[in-house]
Amino acid sequence: MDTRKKNISLEDLQRIVGEDHAREATPEDAIDGVQPSFVAEPGSVEETSELLRFAADEGLAVCPRGGGTKSSLGNPPRELDLVLSTARMVDVIEHVPGDQVVRVQAGIKLQDLQERLAGSDQMLGIDPPETRSGATVGGVVAANSSGPRRHRYGTIRDLIIGITVVLSDGTVAKAGGKVVKNVAGYDLSKLFTGSLGTLGVIAECNFRLHPRPEAARTVAVELESTQAAGEAAQVILHAQLVPSAVEVHWSDSSKLLTLLIEGIPPGVEAQSDTASYLLRGFGEVRTLTDEELGALGPSGAGEEVAIKISAPPAELTGVLDSVLGACSRRGVAPRVTGHAGIGVTFLALSGADDEAYAQIVEELREIWSRRGGSVVVREAPPAFKERVEAWGPLGSRLELTRRVKEKFDPRGIMNPGRFAGGI
Amino acid sequence: MDRRNDPPDPRETGNPYDATDATERREDEGTFREEGMAGAIAAGSPQDIPRETLGTRGSVRQTVGIGRSTETGSYVFPAFDAHPPPEKDLIDDCVHCGFCLPTCPTYVLFGEEMDSPRGRIYLMNKGLDEEPMNDEMVRHWDLCLGCMACVTACPSGVQYDKLIEATRGQVERRYERAPEDRAFREMIFQLFPYPNRLRVATAPLKLYQRFGIGDMLRKAGVMDRLPKRMKAMEALMPMMTRQQEVPDVTAPVGEKRRRVGFIKGCVQRVFFSEVNAATVRVLSAEGCEVVAPKSQGCCGALSVHAGREEEFQRFARKLIDAFEDTEVDEIVINAAGCGSTLKEYDYLLRDDTEYAERARAFAAKVKDVSEFIQELGPVAERHPLPIAAAYHDACHLAHAQGVRQQPRATLKQIPGMDVREIKEAEICCGSAGIYNMVEPEPATELGDRKARNVLNTGARMIVTSNPGCMLQIQASLRRMGHSMPMAHPVEVLDASIRGEPVETLLDRR
Amino acid sequence: MERDGLIRAMKSILGPEGVISEREQLRSYECDGLMNYRVIPELVVLPETAEQVQRIVRTCYEEGIPFVARGSGTGLSGGALPVEAGILIVMSRMRKILEVDIPNQRVVVEPGVINMWVSEEVAEDGYYYAPDPASQIVSSIGGNLAENSGGVHCLKYGFTTNHVMGAEVVLPDGSMVNIGGGKAPDAPGYELLGAFVGSEGTLGIATKITLRIVRKPEAVRTLLAAFKDTEEAGGAVSGIIGAGIVPAAIEMMDALCIEAVETAVHPGFPQVGAILIVELDGPAAEVENQFEQTLGICEENDASEIRVAEDDAERALFWKGRKAAFAAMGRISNDYYVQDSVVPRTELGKVLKKISDLGEEYGMRVANVFHAGDGNLHPLVLYDNNVPGEAEKAEKLAGDIVFTCLEHGGSLTGEHGIGEDKKKYMPKMFTTDDLNVMQLLRCAFDPHQICNPGKIFPTPRLCGERPGPFRMHPVQKAGLAENL
Repeated sequence: MDTRKKNISLEDLQRIVGEDHAREATPEDAIDGVQPSFVAEPGSVEETSELLRFAADEGLAVCPRGGGTKSSLGNPPRELDLVLSTARMVDVIEHVPGDQVVRVQAGIKLQDLQERLAGSDQMLGIDPPETRSGATVGGVVAANSSGPRRHRYGTIRDLIIGITVVLSDGTVAKAGGKVVKNVAGYDLSKLFTGSLGTLGVIAECNFRLHPRPEAARTVAVELESTQAAGEAAQVILHAQLVPSAVEVHWSDSSKLLTLLIEGIPPGVEAQSDTASYLLRGFGEVRTLTDEELGALGPSGAGEEVAIKISAPPAELTGVLDSVLGACSRRGVAPRVTGHAGIGVTFLALSGADDEAYAQIVEELREIWSRRGGSVVVREAPPAFKERVEAWGPLGSRLELTRRVKEKFDPRGIMNPGRFAGGI
Repeated sequence: MDRRNDPPDPRETGNPYDATDATERREDEGTFREEGMAGAIAAGSPQDIPRETLGTRGSVRQTVGIGRSTETGSYVFPAFDAHPPPEKDLIDDCVHCGFCLPTCPTYVLFGEEMDSPRGRIYLMNKGLDEEPMNDEMVRHWDLCLGCMACVTACPSGVQYDKLIEATRGQVERRYERAPEDRAFREMIFQLFPYPNRLRVATAPLKLYQRFGIGDMLRKAGVMDRLPKRMKAMEALMPMMTRQQEVPDVTAPVGEKRRRVGFIKGCVQRVFFSEVNAATVRVLSAEGCEVVAPKSQGCCGALSVHAGREEEFQRFARKLIDAFEDTEVDEIVINAAGCGSTLKEYDYLLRDDTEYAERARAFAAKVKDVSEFIQELGPVAERHPLPIAAAYHDACHLAHAQGVRQQPRATLKQIPGMDVREIKEAEICCGSAGIYNMVEPEPATELGDRKARNVLNTGARMIVTSNPGCMLQIQASLRRMGHSMPMAHPVEVLDASIRGEPVETLLDRR
Repeated sequence: MERDGLIRAMKSILGPEGVISEREQLRSYECDGLMNYRVIPELVVLPETAEQVQRIVRTCYEEGIPFVARGSGTGLSGGALPVEAGILIVMSRMRKILEVDIPNQRVVVEPGVINMWVSEEVAEDGYYYAPDPASQIVSSIGGNLAENSGGVHCLKYGFTTNHVMGAEVVLPDGSMVNIGGGKAPDAPGYELLGAFVGSEGTLGIATKITLRIVRKPEAVRTLLAAFKDTEEAGGAVSGIIGAGIVPAAIEMMDALCIEAVETAVHPGFPQVGAILIVELDGPAAEVENQFEQTLGICEENDASEIRVAEDDAERALFWKGRKAAFAAMGRISNDYYVQDSVVPRTELGKVLKKISDLGEEYGMRVANVFHAGDGNLHPLVLYDNNVPGEAEKAEKLAGDIVFTCLEHGGSLTGEHGIGEDKKKYMPKMFTTDDLNVMQLLRCAFDPHQICNPGKIFPTPRLCGERPGPFRMHPVQKAGLAENL
């Protein structure tokens, strides 16, 4: 690590972004207990570029921030001086409904974008739970956030078609374009997906859109056992249904497999019938009301550690069993949800101590990395993160990952230490 | 310094095919190519060419052509002379899209560009222009089975069949094969196109098979020590049965709808005479008067596919003569390999002043038996034959003649028939004329592949329209320790018309 | 290392059958599907295992020898064009399907496996592999990966990059990495797989690829509609998309194309100004409903004839006609120059008119076949190489078409890739900074620039340089030093 001069003042920043748009940081701006000095909000790509150039020259560690909903993703930062907020870059640059493409500035809240698109009966096919808490589009891309609808529409990586980024030395570059089919040059849009701000700041994004479905219905089956969960999921996967989401919910209060079916009314009708027919062998089948759906929503307060397990989708039963086993042995009652058709399972733990949680993560990591999967700690107190590394091993990819980081951010000022591989 | 044999210098010839610059564009000069061709034509007939080979880089045996010196003083040896060479226009039809690659059996086996139609055409193009004929080129052309799956697959309509036949002709005349190779090929062609000789030569086979001599030799390990090609031939030999003769004229059953000529074939009449007998019976049952001239000989298919042009022309003329005054409406053939050549008589004899017109008339009448039966429309009653049969498309029927649907229709018109499709149907079984005798290794691989696909259909018998395919697939099955009865579609139809039970088809070799 | 040494080294890795060194045979590898550029490689090698690939690449790395990987050689941008004094690594012998995993809806294949084989392999289980470029019967999965191939169904189903779950890659220094999840989704770390797909063989060689397979749809309905001209047909397309229908495929062909295709494969298409082939698939109830709607929209737009495919055979015939379009051009013209431009769908009408005007201006015929749903057009400039000057004119016209598309907000290439052919246009679409930043990625993978060098980027950058605007060093800024 080279020596860094950090004797910069607020005025230095205000000179770039304007007096009202740079301030001293407060405790709320801390990330995993690491307190930055300043927060700056550039209003354009040019200001972002100048800001980063300045930061690079002064050796400031920078964390780009959208809605701040994923601030606790990853390991604690090694150091942090400046939070670069995209809060002012919220425009829809261009929306051509006939092309099913939208171009936006990265700071726009996903919620706002969806509302705007709904006016043309279109949507961006991504529904991360953080939408409600103010997640921005840039943040969704940087964190590779996704929700249940990834079953049908893919993750943000499958929806992004163009990007403008600002690198740590101020270089502004774009890749992709505003057409869905484009193989000119490298697909940097994808490279930046999930990069958690470690390669640069995402300033603008272009996405492909989908028509907003007219009707929706959720069909659910009560599960008697984890075995039933796995088998039911397989039946649905191999049927000729096109559900928007296939979710498993497992907790003391409810054990369900739910299917979200969307489309035109006759299609929804027919598919719901088929789904009910296919699932009836596994338990009681019913349609969920809005209230019930709401109750199933993502975590409320109270859980301390959130974990994500990726495994081959056919091993759903195994995942559930391993989770329940690891937790029960330590007296923890987990709340489990998952995208049953994809192989991603979320675990919310509460009611025990860090040691127990750590053991659970280690045990699960042991099992699932051997089966080709991974276990990632999504949210946890900083102290816990000292004990357990958030991402898990990168294996043969480590070297290459480091080289990529080195090329894009040679001085290592972008979110140092937060990413996989200690980057 | 004698530079006659140096490779052409791109800077001097300006020939873009010698391009080594990464961004050099393909330009059409025109003049260089024409000079080369002119030189070739000036050579006159093959007898004028000096016997000494003028060695060039690397290769041992060279073309015996002579070229014209260019300004730089080096000789050009186009591989082909004007006799005719594969046509430039046809070669130019190829746009290099590669759609032929996955259907080419040799590309499927070897994965090398030159063992694909696209690569072979490329070599032909080079042979027209400036590359001499050398061992490698000939090898790649020899490995081509002539199955014409590529013709079916090609969206640009490249007539690869015409190209490879012209190429083979050139190879036979201008390339000196190794002595054992020459002798072996000569032996095949002294034997197979002559049914009487074939009969005599294979008479001892009956005893050989009756006494299981082959198995004894195999158990004793002697078979393995035989040269590969002898082994291949031994493996291919069918079970000899009593031969059935076809009468000169056969009357129709009931009302006479047509008068048709019938071609007996060579391998067909010696080894599979029951197929001929069945064909005549079926044609007669469908109301045809069948004329099978006694004087008919070989159609020349094996010869033309191997590039032996003169031999082919002799056979073709004789066959046309044999059918001269028969006044038949159609000429029916039951062997796919022969059928495809017969239909091309007009093209192949186009330069023969005496026979061109007669060849055209002849070719126009040729019909494969399944094709003909469907065209005629069935009248004879078909009795049920409840059996699952795998239908194998012979390349010369499916690819060369485009006859796929008719044999299947013929089978499906028999009540109770379950026609099974074979996976990888478009890939040749490896028989390919004499290919399985001269190139036993790739032929074995292809044969085994086909046999496996056939076994996987779960059918109880195989139906196919070519004697070569029959021999090949049966040999592979035997090698794998299986056996499956085989029949020609017309034999199956014959059994159905005669009301025979399914066992007659199953109780056969 | 001199040539003989190299040949020996390669033969010791692959055995004699795996190395081609004779000039006449090297010739047949001098170009891929694009015949305009030819370079004879120094050597051609045909590995059969990943380990052999590693050893070959390692040797190249140590000796500083550039290499190019090639699949079936059907690419249309010269991506597999050999490099001067370089080795051509032909992957066509690595063609085993290694694993079929229906419960997890994935298949693991070697790169030489042909696209169509994947679908054939899983057909009996009711699955198929969705990306279906027109070359699917011969192009290899490795090649599809390199070019991020699309196909007629990519509007709804996406491209190769949306169907690759993982890959084992030999990096240009001979080391092996596993990128992407493979068995499980969301592997931690950078989205290296996403960057690798579509990198045109410049970042490494994939030796094992995990593909996602998709359940065959419950219902498929296909129609062919005839229109007076492309404008009318375009109106129908807008109507269909505007109605919120996402067709599985929606293709358009103009009169010249229809003529060529009819001569080649005789699909029996109506000989009109433009035809549209629309395919809908999905759950039966939805398809039925939306198909009716589509028929209505075609009628509203004055379709002179609408044919609905009655069965699989007829449907296959429609598609055969469409997929043979390029190669069929050979029937009506000696040569053609195929373009692969993309424009936003809403600009399609304007651009087509512009292309037709350009064609008239140049006095050359331009046939059009394109993926109407996503604006990816393939103008085919027809010419005769035997007429002096025509080839150059064709190229110039093609260039003008490319510029037109860029002007309307499009891209240089939708599916064929940049390769060798479109390098020169890259600066028209991207700034120097854009290109430099992309090359940062290349430097991370291939610092010695030996992996398919010279493709995509018109000006290669040395990996030591840093991109970006000039800025003063802080010490300099403080007035403590001067720039010399």
